[in-house]
Amino acid sequence: MKKASTTAAAMAVLAGITGYMITGCSPAGSTTPAKDAAPVAREEFDKAMQTPTKLTFWTWLPDVDQEVALFEKKYPQIDVTVENVGQGGEHYQKVRTALKSGEGAPDVIQVEYQYISSFNLTDSLLDLRRYGADDIKDDYVGWAWNQVSDDKGVWAIPQDVGPMGNLYRKDLMEKAGLTKAPATYQEYADAAKAVKEKTGAYISNLPTNDPAQVVGLLWQAGVKPFGYDGDKTVSIDVNSAKAKEVLGYWQDLIQKDLVSVDADFNDQYYQGLASDKYAGWLTAAWAPIFLQGTAADTAGKWNAAPLPQWEAGQNVSGNWGGSSDAVLKTTKNPIAAAELAKFINHDDESTAMFANKQFLFPAAKSVLEDPAFTGKKVDFFGGQEVNKLFAGIADTVDTDFQWLPFTDFAYSSFNEKVGTVIGAKGDLGAALDAWQADLEGYAKDQGFTVK
Amino acid sequence: MTTSTAPLAAPTAVPGTEKPRTSKRQRGMERSTLLTVLLWLCAGYFVLPLFWLLIASTKDNADLFSTFGLWFGNRFALWENLVSVFTVRNGLFLQWVLNTVLYAGLSAVGASVLATTAGYAFAKYRFPGDKLLFSINLGAIMIPLTALALPTYLLFNSAGLTNTPWAVILPSLVSPFGVYLMRVYAADAISDSLIQAARVDGAGEFRIFWQVGFRLLGPGVVTVFLFALVATWNNYFLPLIMLNSSSLYPLTVGLAQQQAASAAGGGAQALFSTVITGSLVSIVPLIIAFLVLQRYWQAGLTTGGVKE
Repeated sequence: MKKASTTAAAMAVLAGITGYMITGCSPAGSTTPAKDAAPVAREEFDKAMQTPTKLTFWTWLPDVDQEVALFEKKYPQIDVTVENVGQGGEHYQKVRTALKSGEGAPDVIQVEYQYISSFNLTDSLLDLRRYGADDIKDDYVGWAWNQVSDDKGVWAIPQDVGPMGNLYRKDLMEKAGLTKAPATYQEYADAAKAVKEKTGAYISNLPTNDPAQVVGLLWQAGVKPFGYDGDKTVSIDVNSAKAKEVLGYWQDLIQKDLVSVDADFNDQYYQGLASDKYAGWLTAAWAPIFLQGTAADTAGKWNAAPLPQWEAGQNVSGNWGGSSDAVLKTTKNPIAAAELAKFINHDDESTAMFANKQFLFPAAKSVLEDPAFTGKKVDFFGGQEVNKLFAGIADTVDTDFQWLPFTDFAYSSFNEKVGTVIGAKGDLGAALDAWQADLEGYAKDQGFTVK
Repeated sequence: MTTSTAPLAAPTAVPGTEKPRTSKRQRGMERSTLLTVLLWLCAGYFVLPLFWLLIASTKDNADLFSTFGLWFGNRFALWENLVSVFTVRNGLFLQWVLNTVLYAGLSAVGASVLATTAGYAFAKYRFPGDKLLFSINLGAIMIPLTALALPTYLLFNSAGLTNTPWAVILPSLVSPFGVYLMRVYAADAISDSLIQAARVDGAGEFRIFWQVGFRLLGPGVVTVFLFALVATWNNYFLPLIMLNSSSLYPLTVGLAQQQAASAAGGGAQALFSTVITGSLVSIVPLIIAFLVLQRYWQAGLTTGGVKE
């Protein structure tokens, strides 16, 4: 749901340190070996759901109480406490601390896709297959399901996703003589030049502190920078020829001063969106709503389109952000906890509520195909059916993208090795090499085999 | 240490500057022009962020990001923002205010009592190991609370006290700097002959401390109280790692969480103006505490001066 914890980059480092210190000093959390047991029987399920049970759910999603209330209405014996213990880095730090200290860990947690493997590394997540997760597999967009599952199990239920598109200022584009969104990156570069010359605006911004956006753009280009076999082997390929081509393209625009290099998600950035500094943003499906909150005065001037493509006629996208709900292995009530994670992300009323009240971009097909959702005309985008556009884009996301089991480090390392070079308008190819070396070194230090 | 002497010394300096007004008028003027300019610059530097906060809390989100930061926006939305501060998430903000008052209040009272007794003892009694203990105390001043937060967390976790108010209050009761300040203050403010006289009159040691010493230490106690109050009120890191329930958060952690929720991307609530107005509301009690307690602070200092 959120763009990955960019503002919490420092926090993430801190989280790492804290994690290790606490590992050293506390009894390890109990980890029962995973059993590939038979699915939970109907009677067992009914019995569990009718026994008075208390569950704790850690999530930073505002107003999630509404969906949880639906769950409690259906299962009156289950009492769910929702806690917001922080966002992104802070949240994961607290979950890890609680797991290590063996006390106070919640039953269900919100977890972003790129952090699932970090929790699998410590064997902390419950395999949901026993609890009927496989049965609902086809109800979600395929690549989102791939993000939460591997050949060893299903580790979470997708809550929302962030397929990427191009949000742009229609008025500024028109001033520059452009009537439609650039279809290819070549056209995009030409448009950037025209927009800068005619309006003085940057066609978009490449932030110095947002690995998630850059990774999303690499994802679109078919780069496979990360891989993890679920055990001890990782593959790291952030400086592949394709990745260098993508960042080389951006380096060119940056050095010609056609794309700005501001840190994103801070006051200055919001001011840039609200004023006419940026003429667009290559961003995710959650951004249309986000813009309405921060750049309210520019209502009606925006338009949405798919991302520019590397080859004419192509139609692919990447993903930026999104979350899922996972069950921790330490839970004493796995049946009820798994049902909570499933219910809020599968029940029609609940998923519709996520999409229409909290404005999460859904991973569930039932909502993506629901005319009430896709047919909504958004005034901020001049009456455009933005949801329909992004629902279409959601089908074009590459299905086979993986993460490293140490995303915290990979992201903070990105900011240090690549982000600073973006800011300095330097050689991004060399920056990718430095990032690659840093990641490999870290992986080896941590005892991984680098493939 | 310098941070403490500055406020203590300041009031005595004020009457001093008034004296030469009649005789050396010319020199006094010269000096004061330069000083005035410097002081205005300083005042501007310190007040500007506050002014920004005040202005920004009258703006809605749109104005916040599109109008000049140091002047009012197109709409005056202070009232809306205030309503939003106290109603968002079912009025959780009020709970945070109460928590902060509780944590900061208890910590400040506890810290000043502990620091006063300890400081008095260090100043007025000789006992085995007093020098060593005091040196340890001095050393402890150098260690920031933040560095101790993690070991404290581990301690509290094994005691099962994390995610309770005690996890914030107990560590905040310890104020090595307060002990140091009170020792220095007690050494000067209470003369040994006074204690001797009380002893001759047959008062017990505790009675001497409570009825003679504590009264004379008033201004020092208020100083320690204010320091501890502000420190706990503004403490972010300790409650951040200790607490897991929104209903237990103090203002600092709560507001930071709201701020994070604003920048969350999907599912975000654009609460920027709410967070800013909440920040303004959160410092009001501190300002009031300072204004009220300042009277005791200064009054005490002048009485001390006369006695000297």
